[in-house]
Amino acid sequence: MDVVRRMRPALGTFVEAGASASAGLPALDTAFASLALAQERWSFQDPGSELSRINGSDGGWVPVHGDTVRLLRLARGLMLASGGYFDFTVGGAQVRRGSLPDHGGLPALERGTAHDVELRAGAVRLQRPVRLVLDGIAKGFAVDLACRAMRRAGAASGWINAGGDIRVFGDIELPLALRGEDGGIRPHGVLRNAAFASSQVAAMRDDSFPADIIGPAGLAPQPGVWSVLARSAWRADALTKVAAIAPGETRGPLLARLGGQLA
Amino acid sequence: MSAHRWNAFFLPVAVLAGPTAYATDYLTVAQAQEQLFPGAQFGEQTLKFSSDQRDRIKAAAGVRQRNEEMKVWRAEKNGKLQGWLMVDEVIGKHEFITYATAIGADGKVLGIEIMSYRETHGGQVREQAWRKQFVGKTVSDPFKLDQDIQNISGATLSCRNVMDGVKRLLVVQQMFLKA
Repeated sequence: MDVVRRMRPALGTFVEAGASASAGLPALDTAFASLALAQERWSFQDPGSELSRINGSDGGWVPVHGDTVRLLRLARGLMLASGGYFDFTVGGAQVRRGSLPDHGGLPALERGTAHDVELRAGAVRLQRPVRLVLDGIAKGFAVDLACRAMRRAGAASGWINAGGDIRVFGDIELPLALRGEDGGIRPHGVLRNAAFASSQVAAMRDDSFPADIIGPAGLAPQPGVWSVLARSAWRADALTKVAAIAPGETRGPLLARLGGQLA
Repeated sequence: MSAHRWNAFFLPVAVLAGPTAYATDYLTVAQAQEQLFPGAQFGEQTLKFSSDQRDRIKAAAGVRQRNEEMKVWRAEKNGKLQGWLMVDEVIGKHEFITYATAIGADGKVLGIEIMSYRETHGGQVREQAWRKQFVGKTVSDPFKLDQDIQNISGATLSCRNVMDGVKRLLVVQQMFLKA
């Protein structure tokens, strides 16, 4: 099949978009436009993002885009279903440790619970002053939305690879190669009508840099490269974090229950 | 063991996809021209920088202008200046990237396209300067890679290099390419 592909900087990484040639460049342009919107809405670093407006709110309802409500609903559901192995309420702790910027606002709790986030159509309310951080899920979700945008623009098949968060749809098989901890590259099979995400957890001995542990109390991510297959990219993205934190014996069954598979 | 603590960070993992997994050419110069300035006519020129000029570029952009020459295409439509197309290269941690930047007549970035992306692993590292920069550092060095934590806007190293490169191209345009 003839395909058209482009790579541009987006979401703080290089993003490759590809589609059947018949859909052409306009389909890819809609994908990149969709990714730019995701960046504007869900970046923790950007003080003007919807996420920062939520984090800076004083307990009232914050009007947001419908996709933001959808993303937060997915995040909340996965946090509950994973028993906190996926946690999007740890922004307060990360700000305190200096791994995320402080945009001011009410003094934040180190972390919260899924119930701190109240949702209704077009609006979000924080029950307690938590700082939400969507790093573990928003990039995947943005990839899903970009694929949807390409479909709507007439692409029968295509893919997005946003620096390792990948989704393929339609009649395309995408060969994957993965870089291991040693920097070496090895083939990693073929992806078809599915999503794939990888996270590397690097262990390091260092006194000067704060730990950035995002697991439930007492559980730290385990060093290694964690790759997960799922139907959608948001799920694959988020489940790499679950895979890294879940204890060995429970990892496989937990991922299967949550809709993913270790790759 | 010493009193060091073990810290853990999520880092992005490069996953290469596509029929040509280790090197992909997206656009030729002609294709980049047509995409970024559709229907324009192009005049090629080569900028030559003295060492003093390269110092000034570095002072203004914060990053070094490594090459002494740069090829630039001036885009015109019906005799009216549309802007400039500049082709530049950067080296990431694992990749060698050629990219095109379109700058409008008003000095604003119109678009950035990666023209070619090559994995540098496996003896393909062409740039000794890059090697030097990373000598003695490993994947577990936090101070280089802490900002590589996978998140929605913390840029990965090589992507930051491209954004720095674009900043430098804007400085070059300001200094040397006037409407």
